[in-house]
Amino acid sequence: MAQKLAADMVSVAFEGLRALSNVTLEIPAGRVTGLIGPNGAGKTTCVNVLTGFQKPSMGRVMLDGLDISGLPAHRVRQTGIARTFQSGRLFADLTVHENLEVTGVGLGLSRREASLKADALLDWIGISALSDRLAGGLPYTDERRVAIGRALMLEPAFLLLDEPAAGMSAEEADELSRLIHRITDEVKCGVLLIEHNIGLVLKTCHSIYVLDSGEIIEFGTPDAIKASEKVRHAYMGTQADAEGEIL
Amino acid sequence: MAERASILSRTIATPVILGLLLTAIALLALLMGSGPFNQTIIDIFIRVILVVGLYIFIGNSGVISFGHIGFTCLGAYMTAWLTIPPPMKKMALPGLPGFVLEAKLPFWVGVPAAAIFAALIAFFFGKILMRLSGIAASIATFAMLALINQIYSNWEDVTGATSSVVGIPINRSIWPYFVATLVAVAIGYAYSISRSGLALRAARDEATAAAASGVDIPKERLRAFVISAFVMGGGGALYAHSVGVVTPDTFYLGLTFISLSMLVVGGMGSLSGAVIGVVLLSTIIQILRLFEKGVALGDTVLTIPNGVQEIAIGVIMIVILMRRPAGLIGNREVGWKGFRKA
Ligand SMILES: Nc1ncnc2c1ncn2[C@@H]1O[C@H](COP(=O)(O)OP(=O)(O)OP(=O)(O)O)[C@@H](O)[C@H]1O
Ligand SMILES: [Mg+2]
Repeated sequence: MAQKLAADMVSVAFEGLRALSNVTLEIPAGRVTGLIGPNGAGKTTCVNVLTGFQKPSMGRVMLDGLDISGLPAHRVRQTGIARTFQSGRLFADLTVHENLEVTGVGLGLSRREASLKADALLDWIGISALSDRLAGGLPYTDERRVAIGRALMLEPAFLLLDEPAAGMSAEEADELSRLIHRITDEVKCGVLLIEHNIGLVLKTCHSIYVLDSGEIIEFGTPDAIKASEKVRHAYMGTQADAEGEIL
Repeated sequence: MAERASILSRTIATPVILGLLLTAIALLALLMGSGPFNQTIIDIFIRVILVVGLYIFIGNSGVISFGHIGFTCLGAYMTAWLTIPPPMKKMALPGLPGFVLEAKLPFWVGVPAAAIFAALIAFFFGKILMRLSGIAASIATFAMLALINQIYSNWEDVTGATSSVVGIPINRSIWPYFVATLVAVAIGYAYSISRSGLALRAARDEATAAAASGVDIPKERLRAFVISAFVMGGGGALYAHSVGVVTPDTFYLGLTFISLSMLVVGGMGSLSGAVIGVVLLSTIIQILRLFEKGVALGDTVLTIPNGVQEIAIGVIMIVILMRRPAGLIGNREVGWKGFRKA
């Protein structure tokens, strides 16, 4: 299994707007890496680059020693880099079980094999009861867990979570934190956690990158990030009091 | 954790019930015994084949194709080329290659050959078209239909241009059509429970997430496109053998519209919807046609004016779609205990 996923001097420009500038970051296996930053900082764009949904204007995406920048999204998933989406994006007309099965099939399993894997994984996450429900009608929190399950099929080497706790209560976020640790410990995944819930990030991550206006402005342990003047400044500057208070 | 029943055992009821429905229709024809009624049933079977063909691509991919009747055209002419007696071919279609001109193949070779030919052409078109999505894909399929229609309307010594190609051996027994319809339903069912079918339905719901799940969307779309073209081509060939004559305009906008309507009215995302939509609408059309000719009720003959049938069918479709925008069956499939979510 791959040991390191990295962005190497990645820049992305949208019609003149620089969404990412020379971003270099590393996601090691078996650990939780945080990525925080104000709205519009470029976090989702960063995930899009790492998963083949966005071609970098400059720079490379490296999986161990291998340059995977040019691969289309489905091929990136096949190399073991999985993601979730900020907006859920479950297959609404399929059942929860089928949502997971799709990944199995996409990765080359037969429907029977995919079905068995999906059952085992739903059980592991603790949402077997949802198996035969249509994904379209799920409450928010369940939707998030199904999305994580779908991404976890066949144990990817890396899992990139884009705001998985959005809309969750404090207890639900705690439960999510425990799930993420089970993922790094038992699946040995490297996890990238993007979140606006800074408390969750500080508690869950081993190390944290801070992105502001497309640039990495800080990197360090949760304690170091908490103490950082630069980070405080970035958040205060763009996002008024709410986020400032959390920090 | 209880072992989940296999996908086959959970869903096999659907093709079995649809097969029984089709068998009932065939037996009805047998009971009635009359020639014109036989022809009506054959028409229904052919419609079912075409709409199931549409379902395989449109239902699973969610991409509306206006082009599939082009494959029906390809199939109809292919079987005409292969099965018309050589002397007639040499007169009407002298531009055909020598070995085709000399060939006099039976119906049961012509139909599969036509299906394979349509699938082959679909493969080449699909290589390009399946990269497109949404409305761009739909318009491109329409362009493909127009292209096929133009070629077949103008290639005088191979297709007879706009004039009718006659002399296709006619087969009036309902059985070949019945068997072919069962085969089409079986293909539609097999595709929908296949890996590719599941992946494509996922891409229909959320293309981005499907790609993130490892699904190669253009590849899966191409598979569905080729398989559905196979069914459409076979349906076209059967049509040719049911009436003995083909023209390019038989396979153009009118047939495209009515087939798509039947799929949408039945329920675009459902094989059951495809079959039941056709059977229901065809039955209504037949009853209305009967009344247009006049039905004796005791002493009085009940007649409705010509054209009422078309109008009524239009109104019925609008009403169904207003009440049930996802079609009569919606996204569900028939099972032993009524309907289940597909
Ligand atoms: N496809 C696109 N075309 C043009 N601009 C884009 C596109 N995607 C993102 N952007 C812009 O790039 C910048 C970074 O967006 P991104 O979605 O990566 O931010 P984010 O950090 O994920 O924000 P949020 O916390 O709100 O999710 C924003 O200014 C956004 O408007
Ligand atoms: Mg974002």
